[in-house]
This record gives sequence, structure tokens and C-alpha cells, in this order.
Amino acid sequence: MKLNTIFRSAWFQMKHQKVLSIVTIAGTALAIFLIMIVVMMQEVQTAPYAPESNRDRFLHYKYLSSYKEEWGEGDSSNGPMSYNTAKQMLLSLETPEAATAYRAFTAPAAMSIPKGENVQADFRPVDDNFWKVFDFTFIDGKPFTKADFDAGRPEIVITESVARAVFGTTEVAGREILMNLAPFRVSGVVKDVSTLADACYAQAWPNLSATTDMETTWGDIHGYLSVTLLARSSDDFAKIKDEYNKAHDRYEDQLKSAGWKISSRNRPYDQETQVIALSSNNEPDLPGERRRRLIIYLILLIVPAINLSSMTQSRLKQRTAEIGVRRSFGCTRGRIIADIITENLVMTLVAGVIGLLLSVIFGYLCNSLLFAQPFSMTFNPPKVDSSILFHWSTFGWAMLFCFILNLLSSGLPAFNASRTSLVNALSGRSK
Amino acid sequence: MNKKLFTQIKNEWRTNLWLVTELLVVSVVLWYIVDFFYTSISTRIIPLGFDIEHCYRVDVDEVNVKSPEYIPERGDEQTGADRMELMERIRRRPEIEAVSWSQNSYPYNGSNSGIGVQYIAEGDTLETDGYTLRRYVSPDFVRVFRYQGINGETPEELAAMLKEGKVLINNDLFWKQKVELKDYIGKEFIIGDTSNIKRLGAALVPPRYCDYQTWNDCVVMDLPRWWYSWTNELCIRVKPEMDHDIKEMLMKDAPTQFRIGNLMVTDVVSFKDIRRNYQTFYTNRERNYYAGMGFLLLNIFLGLLGTFWFRTQQRVGEIAIRKVNGATDRSIFNRLIGEGLLLLVVATIPAAAIDTALSWYEFNSYFDGYIGWGRTSLCILVTFGLMALMIVLGIIIPARRAMRIKPAIALKDE
Repeated sequence: MKLNTIFRSAWFQMKHQKVLSIVTIAGTALAIFLIMIVVMMQEVQTAPYAPESNRDRFLHYKYLSSYKEEWGEGDSSNGPMSYNTAKQMLLSLETPEAATAYRAFTAPAAMSIPKGENVQADFRPVDDNFWKVFDFTFIDGKPFTKADFDAGRPEIVITESVARAVFGTTEVAGREILMNLAPFRVSGVVKDVSTLADACYAQAWPNLSATTDMETTWGDIHGYLSVTLLARSSDDFAKIKDEYNKAHDRYEDQLKSAGWKISSRNRPYDQETQVIALSSNNEPDLPGERRRRLIIYLILLIVPAINLSSMTQSRLKQRTAEIGVRRSFGCTRGRIIADIITENLVMTLVAGVIGLLLSVIFGYLCNSLLFAQPFSMTFNPPKVDSSILFHWSTFGWAMLFCFILNLLSSGLPAFNASRTSLVNALSGRSK
Repeated sequence: MNKKLFTQIKNEWRTNLWLVTELLVVSVVLWYIVDFFYTSISTRIIPLGFDIEHCYRVDVDEVNVKSPEYIPERGDEQTGADRMELMERIRRRPEIEAVSWSQNSYPYNGSNSGIGVQYIAEGDTLETDGYTLRRYVSPDFVRVFRYQGINGETPEELAAMLKEGKVLINNDLFWKQKVELKDYIGKEFIIGDTSNIKRLGAALVPPRYCDYQTWNDCVVMDLPRWWYSWTNELCIRVKPEMDHDIKEMLMKDAPTQFRIGNLMVTDVVSFKDIRRNYQTFYTNRERNYYAGMGFLLLNIFLGLLGTFWFRTQQRVGEIAIRKVNGATDRSIFNRLIGEGLLLLVVATIPAAAIDTALSWYEFNSYFDGYIGWGRTSLCILVTFGLMALMIVLGIIIPARRAMRIKPAIALKDE
């Protein structure tokens, strides 16, 4: 059949079998909707968007696990690391394009101008490389530099919302702002960042070397900091890990006299592993997580597929005579199967588009409900925009799931329909 | 009638096979979800052992060292005194009912410190083997979060015990040894090591870790004086009648009244928000399971609606003949519903076997560390009930249509 005949036939079927068609479309749309919500919940954590556009090249070292030999590896101290640890094990690596140290979590700070009202903002001290690893959009000024970092200059980058709340304008580069009563020079103003960009989110980023985070340590090893490495390409991950392992061994040698050991637990982690590393005293189980995700997709696909398939079978039953006529005029079985599947695909695609649209709208409206991150330190809701919610990969996944759903739901009925013997088919019997 | 129903189901075995397969898959997945809710609800109906209504956390930070206001010579002892003074200033405000400093202690915390507890007496030795939370708190902490003693001791009485240097421990710390600590009140316990021996003031109604966990092992002790210099949990309970705009009021006065030494108040957070943030992991999971349940039930509804719509369309003739032979509208309706439910029974039998096997191999969630047959059967029943409801809802629309078939019109061709 020609393509437009298939469309016409599909349209005719929809009109002729209104209830069955509505139920089929509703069922398919519901399945695609839910699958796309699951995909989106995954993608906000792993797909690239500014300022974490390089997520596919990130290697994170959020928390460090240390232990004493006499405790055994199961009994460890887990938490952020000190600047010295970061420098010894990670910042000095040569394979990555860049490496940044920043406070592991945000904390609230009072921002103001002298004698002005306090504005509360989440702050995160960061080093100069932070601005190379994460791609912020500067709307005024520029990031502080290595020279600023080395000299410990009190420089700070703030978001446009904070700039507006404190100064009443966003063009404030070069002006003085007080953070917890300490004066900082605003070096730049950036666009607001969603809390979903977990590694870099904050509303104010002071120069790390101008804060006590540089020196604060617990037993020299732990401190306030996390590190993110930016690889030149994900192909370098293995090489970086090799280099890290060597640095780790050298650092452990230094700690020998105090009896401390560092348990790597296979760190640093890529983005996909990092998002499931909810507890720092266990190594995340990525294969297990992928298996669970696959089971969820399978359930979300198979249940509606069985459902739709029984309905497709019902619809085809009524068309046995038509199939008989086509067969008697020389149409092959393969052709009949292909036509039925294509015809069904039209309906699946219509439903798929409805499901996808609904999921995007739902994602926008229910961002707090859908994307709230576990164990987050900030009380600000996770804002989303089109760059976060919609990626071409999302669309690709939607198409793929539509196609699979279609194949699952119409494949077998189409095969059965094509096998109906000619005599029976022409007399309208389905067996 | 039943025999006829079976014959009818057998005659349409091909579509029925699809339906039964769907019901079977859905039944198993739905049972898993129902079982999850069983454990979740069972956990949540256990008393929490504390109360966060009208409670807030006051975030305190030190002035940045680069600030001209920073006082470098403020030593640990003075900082400790500053923190106590801050607590006193807050306590004096009219809207405050209680205020406390603590270390890794407030509910929905996530950060923990642990310590071992031992009781040694002739012929009776008790020792903790798991992780016991060490709650170092200033005495009014138990008033802030309204801890309760197992013998009805009030938060005020518990606070007085802490002041006297006694410890409070959850009543069921040694549940494995079948011991209740209420029988050990007044006895001496080794907390940590033998240099720290404390008398048990009261056994606590176990204060749980959070709404979704049954874990509660803890020992509550007075915060040592020298810890005040760095401990950082300042919690308040506000008088219920004055619990409005607390954050705004406290933050407004923060620069003038709460700036002591190098200390400054940076934020006031409601414990409702802290609870929501801390439990996001659990509430997200619950939300996903609810959505999954809704999705499966909706699928059954749509599947049954579609299939039976088509069936009644196909069976117009037979239904009319049955009517001519004296069948009532009600019996036609019941026949269709019966057909759906019978299919569910057929699907539930293998599903129950699979559910039992999954329980046997402990694939489902834990509650109190074990999985019982009562729980498995209850969850199978609930699953059956939910699915039956959706089947009835799905078939009602086509069945009502079948009831309205007029034999004279339907059979006019015959």
C-alpha cells in the first residue's frame, strides 16, 4: 500500500472504531507519558545542560573515605576532603583538561551592602578552575582568575537574582558586597543556576582562598571540599583513574606514619555513577541500578503492549474479510504484516506525540514534585527550563519507545491475521 | 450458568489468553507495590517518639575571618560562652518555649555520631552490637522535640534528669536480648568507655530516625561544656499561639540582638522543611510507587473497557437471543462482570504462586527484618480487590450497553 493509503486506512479505522481507537490512543499516550517522565527524571541528572554542559566528560570526587588499618576498611570516616588532600590526589593530575576544588555543599549566607538589608543566599566557595570546568553564562564582569586565587583576593561571583536583590541592578561588577559581614569584590554576575546542576549550584561563589574552607581540616585529610575533573574526552577516563591511583598510593605513603588509609571505592565517578552515590560509605552499584531501570522500562512497556495487542487483535478480527480479499489478489503475508504494523504506527505516533507533550508540560508544572533531589542541602525548589527538560535525546527515546511499543502491540496480531487461511478469511471467519 | 461461563471463556481463548497474561503480569507487579505500601504504612503508624510541630533550626555561622568585624583573639572558651549567651538571649524572647544546642542530634539529620553502651552486673551483662546514636544535647533539647519517657515522664522531667547528668536511652535498645530498659532505671551504664559511667534517668519512647525508618537506637546525654565552642545545632520550639512569621522576626533582630563575638545568625529554617528535604529520597520513592500503581490500574481499566466493548459489539446477536429466552437485563450485566472476574481468578492463581516465591526468596521490602505469610496473603487479597474494582469499572460501560440491546432490532436480520 502507498503511504497515503495507509494514512487513509488508519484514519478510517479510527473513525469506524471510535471507542476502541480512543482507548488505544489513551493507553499508548499514557505509557509514553510515564516512560518519558522516567527518562526525564534520569536526564535531569545525567544529560548535559549549562552550567554542567560537560557532564559526559566529568569525573567527580565528592566525598572521601578514610580509615585506620586497625579499624578495617568497613569502618570508615566519610566526608568531603581538605584542600591538601585534593591537591595531592586530584588537582595535580596531568591527564585531565582541568580540575576544580569547591565546597561539597552549599550553606546559607547573609549578603548585603554596607548598612543595607540582608539577603539570604546559598554560597559555595570555589577555586579559579571552577569557571573552566563549569560553563556559566556571565551577564556582567568575568570570573576571578588564578592570580586572584593565588593571592587570596576576596573576589566573588553572584547570580543575577542576588545582584538584583542586593543592589537593585545586575551591572555590579567591581562593586563591594558583604558576605557574612566580610567585604568581597563582585568580579562577575551570572545567570541563575538550577539546583539540579548539583555539583555547581549556588547563588554566590566566593574565591575559595579568601575563605577559611582552604585551611579547615579534620585530621588533615578531611575538610570541606569536593573535586570535579574535566577529562579531554570520556576515552581518557581509564587513563585518569590510573594516574589517580598512583597519586593515591603516593598520598597514602605520606599518611603511613599516622596510620591512615584512603579507601577509593572506585572513585572518581562519572556523572551516571555519581548521581546514585547517595551514601559515601558504600560503592554505588551501577549495573544493579541499570538493571532496575531496565525492569521499570520493561514493565512500563510490556503491560500496555499486552493490553494494546489484545485490542489490535480485536480490530483486526473485523477486517478478516478485507485481508482475505487482498491475499486473493496476490498480496504476500509479509506485505500484510508490514502494512498492519505501519498502519498501527500512525496511531502509536499520534499517541506518542500526545504523551510526549503531556510529559513536558507535566515536567514544567510539577518540577518540585518530580525532580526534588534526595538529601539536598538547599531549600530552593529545582527550577527547570526547556534546556534542561527537552533534549533531542529525549525525543529520540520517545520515538524509540513508540516504535517498540508498536512492534510489541501489533506484531503478533498482524502475524496471526496474515496466517488466516484464504477460504476462512473470505467467508469472514478468523480461524 | 458457571459451566456456560467457562465454555464462553474457552471459546474466546485467544483474546482471553492476552487478558489473563496481562492480569497475571499486573497482579505480580501490583502485589509488589502493595507489599511496599504495607511495610511503609506499618512503619509510619509506629509512634515517632518526638514532635517537630512549631520547631525551627537557627543557623549560626562565624563572621568571615576577612571581615573587619572578626575578632581574632576570641578563643574556644569565649566562643563557647558566646554560644551559651546566644541561647539565653533567644530563650528570653516571649515567643520561645524552649531552645537547645546539640551535636548530630536533631530529627531528620543524616549526620550521625555513634557510641557503645554497656551494662555489667553479675549474671546480667548487656552490650550494644549495632550502631547506637550518640545524642549530645543541652538539657532542653528534650523539651524542644517533646521526647517522652516510657513510664509517662514528661519532657520537663526528662530535661531535669539530663541536668543531673543522667542519661536517657530508648526503651528497646536491647530488644534482641528481650530486655526493656524501663526495668533498669537508676542503674549505671558504661557509655563509650569505663571513664564515662552514667546513671539511666529514664527509658525513652523510642525516638525514630525519621518517618520511614524503624531504627531508633540512641543514648541522650548532656552536651559537655567544652563542646559548646563548635557545636552547631541550635533548635527552638515556639509557643503554638505565637507560631507565625518567626523566621522574619528572628532574622530582623539577628544583626542587633544575635551578633555575639564572632557569631551571627544566617537563617531560620522550619523543621517541616528540614523533614521534607531529608525525606525526599523516601517520598520520591513512594511517589514513584503510587504512579506505578495508578498506571497499572489504569491499564487494566482501559484493557477491559476496550476488550469488552468489542465483545459486546460482536455478541449483540447472542445477547439478544438470550434475552428472547427470558434473560433479564441484570443477568446479562452479571454475566459480563462474572466473565471479567473469573479471568482475574484464573490469573491470580499463578500470580499468587509467583508472589509467594518472591516472598520466599525475600525479593520484597523488609519490615522488622522478616516477611510473614499473613502479610503475603493480605497483600495478595488487597491486590485482588484493587484489580477486581478496576475490572468492574472497565466492564460497567460495555455491560450497560449490552443491557440496552433490543432483541427485535438486533435480530431483525435473522
